[in-house]
Amino acid sequence: MSATMTEPHPSTVTPETERELRSAIDASTRLPVVLFYGSAIFWLLIGTVLALLASFKMNAPHFLDQWGWLTFGRVRPAHLNVVVYGWASAAGIGTALWLMARLCRTPLKHSKLLISAAIFWNIGVLLGTLGILAGDGRSIEWLEFPNYASFMLFVAFGLIAVWAVIMFRFRQPGHVYVSQWYLLAAMMWFPWLYTTANLLLNFQPIQGGAQGAVNWWYGHNALGLWFTPIGLATAYYLIPKVLGRPIHSYYLSILGFWSLALFYSWNGMHHLIGGPFPAWMISASVVASVMMVIPVLTTAINHHMTVRGNFQALQWSPTLRFTVFGAMCYTLASLQGVSMAVPSLNVVTHFTHYTVGHAHLGLYAFFTMVMFGAMYYILPRVVGWEWPSARLIRWHFWMVAIGIGMMVVVLTLGGIFQGLALLDPNITFMATLEYTKPWLFLRSISGVLLSIGHVIFAVSFTLLLLKVGVRKDEPTLFTTDEDRQPEVSQA
Amino acid sequence: MNTAMYVLLAAGMVFFGGTTVAAFYWAARTGQFRNLEAGARSIFDGDEPVGTATDSFADRRADRPVRRPGSIA
Repeated sequence: MSATMTEPHPSTVTPETERELRSAIDASTRLPVVLFYGSAIFWLLIGTVLALLASFKMNAPHFLDQWGWLTFGRVRPAHLNVVVYGWASAAGIGTALWLMARLCRTPLKHSKLLISAAIFWNIGVLLGTLGILAGDGRSIEWLEFPNYASFMLFVAFGLIAVWAVIMFRFRQPGHVYVSQWYLLAAMMWFPWLYTTANLLLNFQPIQGGAQGAVNWWYGHNALGLWFTPIGLATAYYLIPKVLGRPIHSYYLSILGFWSLALFYSWNGMHHLIGGPFPAWMISASVVASVMMVIPVLTTAINHHMTVRGNFQALQWSPTLRFTVFGAMCYTLASLQGVSMAVPSLNVVTHFTHYTVGHAHLGLYAFFTMVMFGAMYYILPRVVGWEWPSARLIRWHFWMVAIGIGMMVVVLTLGGIFQGLALLDPNITFMATLEYTKPWLFLRSISGVLLSIGHVIFAVSFTLLLLKVGVRKDEPTLFTTDEDRQPEVSQA
Repeated sequence: MNTAMYVLLAAGMVFFGGTTVAAFYWAARTGQFRNLEAGARSIFDGDEPVGTATDSFADRRADRPVRRPGSIA
């Protein structure tokens, strides 16, 4: 194909018409994006409260246990499902909608489908959370929502998938950018994964050990074929776009996508190493997990080489600072995940807080940070109003960056000590629990830092939405000091 | 009921597996894997060209130039 494939009608297209088209596309996504982002941030706050409760209970087990609905066994799954479906998925969907419209180079069509999806989504998360707290939860990790709630999410997923196909059908001709491959994959595959897992585990439950296999096939794919593609699609768009530099090696990014598609869905069984499963299932999964090094390294090389030489941009761009932080943690989390699939290491880390640290490294330090970065880029363009205060963004960044860094470090170290103690036959089980106490206390402190960051972000978001203050014609960047900022040019 | 569910799941597997292979074939056939240099540049345009940072937001009023951090490449 020739280079002109990506440059439609050069005679009629001027920078002004391009800017107008882009503004029109951004404006067309306003209602669905704000709906999904707004509900995501609401659920983030709820999920944070549930997380704090669960974390405090690790230090003081009888804290608030006079009420059944606030016991650890309910608060903890409620936290997981609220942050996974309420926050991360809704934030991811909001970002994906905007990216789809931009990458299709066409204003968003059929927003009613998406608005209905957002309503179903929120009803589903609300019913599911109340259901879990009321003692109605299913004891299947990642799928604790009762059937009446997961059905609502199923409807929402279906609407979004149909919308994605329609949008792709009406795209402007030209190259399909790597981000769009990731988004289409996520929006096509994940609703199906969700349906399959719910059919096999909740609707017509299969029997015995096979439940565990379906459970972790789903649980790992939720990360690998839903959050990872959306997070990477966002990073592959925002990092080059903010810097004004194309991806270092586009070839590697394409290789990364197709190798992820090939290997990731095999990974789930590595959660069951040592479990009552045929050896070939576990072995195949361990091999596929190690093969994940290919897509992970292609992405790591690409993101690093694209930013290289421009790291000073992290000083001024909130979007870039959050997104690059997230992209780096993607590499860390994925390589850590590969190492945890190796049976000789898994024997130490399995059933310990190390795994909890890994989960937060993936879903928070990678995905959530990339979503924060995306929101800092997308919301001003969609709402037509800048972020109110660079100071709030700066506080948000440092609170969550220090908070998540601390959480991952203490859970990792605590988990290793816990795992080694569990393997030592001379140490009683109670003693292994005692070892974890100081680490769990530090983890609660890191949770408080994250909570402060989330409240600051919610305030910032509300001020932006209400368009408080004076209209700004410039982006809200971290530094206003002229000589530290790159030179400013007139378009 | 169980049989219907398994038929549905099997059909889904064939469909989604099939569309993935078809998508790969389509991508190869329509030249998505060729001219990757142009592909990488497809997210830029004349208003937000390569070499210009874009951490500012687009404004509908085209008469007023948008102030943005300059080239940093």
